[in-house]
Amino acid sequence: MTPFGTFVEIFLQALLAGILIGAIYGLMCLGLGIIFGVMRVINFAQGEFLMLGMYFTFYLVVSFNALWFLGPSLGPYVGALIAGPALFVVGYVLHKWLIARVTGFSVVGTEGEGHYAQLILTLGIALVLQNGGLILFGSTPQSVRTPLSSRAWEIPLLYNPDASLFLNKARVVAALVSIVVAVALYWLINRSRLGKTLRAAADNASAAVYMGIDVDRAYRIAFGLGIGITAIAGGLVATYNPFQPYIGFDFVIIMYAGVVLGGMGSILGAFWGGMTIGLVQQLSTLVLPTQLQNAAIFVVFLLVVMVRPQGLFGRATERM
Amino acid sequence: MSMPARRTLYAPLIAIAAIAAVWIGLGLIVTNSYYQLMLTLVPIWAVMGLSWNLLSGYTGLVSFGHAAFFGLGAYTVTIALVNYDITPWLGIPLGMAVGTAAGVVIGYPTFRLRGHYFALSMLAYPMALLYVFVWLGYQEVSLPMKREAPAYYMQFSDYRVYIALAVALLVVALLISLAVERSRFGLSLLAIKQNEPAAEAAGIDTLAWKMRAIMLSGALAAAAGGLYAVVQLLVTPDSVFGMLTSAQALIVALFGGVGTLWGPLIGSAILIPLSETLQANLGDKIPGIQGVVYGLAIILVVLLAPEGIFWRVRDWLRRPRVAGLGPVNPIAPPIAAAVPEATPTQRRPILTVSDLSKSFGGLRAVANATFEVGDGEILGIIGPNGAGKTTLFNLLNGFLKPDAGTVAFAGRELVGLKPNRICRLGIGRTFQVVRAFARLSVHDNVVVGAYASTASDADAVAAANAALAQVGLLGRSGAIAGALTNKELRLMELARALAGQPRLLLMDEPLAGLASHEIEDMLEVIRALAAQGTTVVIIEHTMRAMVRLAERFIVLDHGAILAVGRPGEIVNEASVIEAYLGKKWAAIRARG
Amino acid sequence: MLAVEALTVAYGGLTALAEVSLSVGAGQFVSIVGPNGAGKTTLFKAISGTVRPRGGRIRFEDRDLLAVAPSQRAHFGIAHVPEGRQVFAGMTVLENLEMGAYPQSGRQGWARNLERIFALFPILAERRGQAAGTLSGGEQQMLAIGRGIASSPRLLMLDEPSMGLAPVVADLIFERIGELHRDGLTILLVEQRVAEAVQSCDFGYVLETGRVVLEGTHDTLLADDRIRSVYLGM
Repeated sequence: MTPFGTFVEIFLQALLAGILIGAIYGLMCLGLGIIFGVMRVINFAQGEFLMLGMYFTFYLVVSFNALWFLGPSLGPYVGALIAGPALFVVGYVLHKWLIARVTGFSVVGTEGEGHYAQLILTLGIALVLQNGGLILFGSTPQSVRTPLSSRAWEIPLLYNPDASLFLNKARVVAALVSIVVAVALYWLINRSRLGKTLRAAADNASAAVYMGIDVDRAYRIAFGLGIGITAIAGGLVATYNPFQPYIGFDFVIIMYAGVVLGGMGSILGAFWGGMTIGLVQQLSTLVLPTQLQNAAIFVVFLLVVMVRPQGLFGRATERM
Repeated sequence: MSMPARRTLYAPLIAIAAIAAVWIGLGLIVTNSYYQLMLTLVPIWAVMGLSWNLLSGYTGLVSFGHAAFFGLGAYTVTIALVNYDITPWLGIPLGMAVGTAAGVVIGYPTFRLRGHYFALSMLAYPMALLYVFVWLGYQEVSLPMKREAPAYYMQFSDYRVYIALAVALLVVALLISLAVERSRFGLSLLAIKQNEPAAEAAGIDTLAWKMRAIMLSGALAAAAGGLYAVVQLLVTPDSVFGMLTSAQALIVALFGGVGTLWGPLIGSAILIPLSETLQANLGDKIPGIQGVVYGLAIILVVLLAPEGIFWRVRDWLRRPRVAGLGPVNPIAPPIAAAVPEATPTQRRPILTVSDLSKSFGGLRAVANATFEVGDGEILGIIGPNGAGKTTLFNLLNGFLKPDAGTVAFAGRELVGLKPNRICRLGIGRTFQVVRAFARLSVHDNVVVGAYASTASDADAVAAANAALAQVGLLGRSGAIAGALTNKELRLMELARALAGQPRLLLMDEPLAGLASHEIEDMLEVIRALAAQGTTVVIIEHTMRAMVRLAERFIVLDHGAILAVGRPGEIVNEASVIEAYLGKKWAAIRARG
Repeated sequence: MLAVEALTVAYGGLTALAEVSLSVGAGQFVSIVGPNGAGKTTLFKAISGTVRPRGGRIRFEDRDLLAVAPSQRAHFGIAHVPEGRQVFAGMTVLENLEMGAYPQSGRQGWARNLERIFALFPILAERRGQAAGTLSGGEQQMLAIGRGIASSPRLLMLDEPSMGLAPVVADLIFERIGELHRDGLTILLVEQRVAEAVQSCDFGYVLETGRVVLEGTHDTLLADDRIRSVYLGM
């Protein structure tokens, strides 16, 4: 095979890997994007909710084997989906009891002082969840094994019978589930009455009050929804990636980079922001050593923010 | 912060000395090596918190990435020692230089961003560095033991020396913070935090001050990181560039109190021992419990004191005293001056505006505005809501760039200049909504405005006092701005603009929200200004007052100049009545 | 229908409204005029609940409005068309109208209301799929009014519908407001342009620096020269 042919093969392999991982990143960014887009709250504990989604799936599927009837291949994915509503409730309640005390209608639109309390509060929540997780779940890395993770689809390359691409089945299924959830969410946000209510509250909170919308309730729902979506992504990551209670910080940074790339406040742009990160991460391995693939994410992130502060997929009207 | 006029430095200096003495004293008593480590870590994290506070606390630009500076400091010291055999005594200053340089490299591009974008972009720097250092092979670097000359390599068998070093660094950081807080540096940063455009309009070069702040902040964080490396003897990318390091800087400062040098110290002195003690006593029995308790403590404090412990305690202590401030100093009646008699035609123009236009999207906010302002006159700009009056001011003082047209001030072209340049050329401005620095004294609020026209801090104080006297607020200069009445706030804002010694003053609705007797006082002050030679252009809706104040009116409607003339002529002009009362007014009245 | 009694609102040290009382009867067209800074918008915000008064009472059809949450008030049949239009810029024209129809009454009358809105402002029907932020100022004002009507309100509160609009467009808006009133809708209008506001009202109030300085019927107001002096100072 020619060197060029080899390069094409490696490139396509990295591209596919990037799309697969990008779909899951996209989903977790979508969760954070809803929270940021609707409430302008910087939630540092988002990674911990991802972690809770992982453990929820783990306990449901592995420890309690509650989904035995679905079989080992299907069970983990259904488990991840169930993590969504479960963590929605957690997020809703947490917002009502804690977050709403330092954010909400009066804080919207303020920069600086109003945000300090919210930053440190979510940092505190992150610490409690992370370490509470350590107490409850232990520090041993866990994983939700599926027989799919050791199987792959082989896609022959038409131009060269000797070369082919390998697609890990677990990752393909996880990516597909992500895309389905993202599409469902897209529908919810854009077409449903609830979604429009959330967008109205995000767009102009006081006008929303004049329409009779309970803005504080909209914020609670948005928070719960964002947490739930990220938890589903967590459950999906758990099917191929071992995890421990401290894994949240690794992902919260990816999520923030994705949300900013997508254009802060553009809820659905966050998905494409996450996808971009997956692609950058995987494609960078073609030219950079593997250790630098995460550094590449942040360099690209900084470049994009400097050149296009409204994000790659945001509208220019979004405030800076 | 609100001691009368000149704040003495004795109290904070004594406090710093006392803290250092107590700390060294504790260091001498404590023998347990574990507590000794704690006594070292508290000052180090306090310095880190002070560094964060210097940038984020004073400017309000929240940084999530201070670990970048900390890590660079730590690695500079480590690599200098391991690879080049350079002692940390030199390594730490070297690290500070690297931290300063990093401040330039990071600050310059990142300051173009605001709010959340700035905060989250800062997150990316330490993260990128973390992976770069892993890739460079610095996963885990130990500082070698130097048995031949330990003191030369900053290695001591007596742990108390480390405590002394940490305290020394803390004292330096506190003194730097104090110097910043009590100078035009700190006041400029606070002005930026409060309202960046207003700060620019007051003549403050905001980018320059922010750059200085991040350089100094970077140096301090790097020093903390360098000492941390020396004390821990082991550096890993995660421990110095990790998210937790950035978070720690934020937490100690936010917990203790933002925007004051005592905040990070309080935060560090409470949180670090709490976390370490929990770790030591419970950590092995229930791993993670210390993090839970620590997290809960943070949550609890945020709910009870959202701005940090320092401010909550201070507000609580101040409350009774504020209530008992004693009799409010009556405002000295300014010298009443007769309405200037000179007619506009006799005045030399100080400001010449030609064909000035500005559109937003399809809306022409200002359309071909052409007018002159005579030296020393009081010119009223009136017109219905949305007529483009404030937009016109924004064009004149440089907040907005016109699409077309020119503005000449005393023969100089203003279009294209930054607001702080225009201010320093002699155009002051007040705003529709008063932007007071609520926690600062009246005096400090006005001093900020004086920086534009003065070189030394002493001159600034003198200019501020003169301006306060001019508006009759000198007796209130010690009061906290947040405790002022609406009228006093308006006067204070006016004094802030006057402290820049402007030749031309743009006033945007200075009478808004004032009761009628207060309006009279304000009118007297404005007339006195004009009598002393300051030219005043004023936007105001309170027409009863305006017809008695202004020499000439310019009427704006839909961005265009509808009429120019003396108040008496203007209010009877049909087109003006139409703009205000609707074109059908005369017709209906005739019918009705 | 609406009764405001001795309403006082203060922000920090400044009193925006001082003991303002007024009433709106069912089917009436009531105008409140006064120069900028008179407290007109504050009055509306207090009625809608986005500003908390320091004293006084607000009653709507025998309900104490101050005792209910702001977001509940729209459900009683009060539609507030805010100053500066405040459309949901990122949402389409139709979605904005849907949000206007958020209360139960709005959902029930959706089809009928939509027809009525599009009949009043045909341009909205044309632009129904367009993002509201891309509309012109006049179109946004039409949308804001349409959004108010979409809730089938019993009281329509309009805050400066003519602000920043070209005279022709403002005329059209006032014409439509008159039509709405003739169809039986109760209207409370705050306006800077006095002629239009006074011309169409049954009863009017003149506010100056937070106080009612003059009140009366259409004819009384027209006959009184104080209006001009409030605006023009002499």
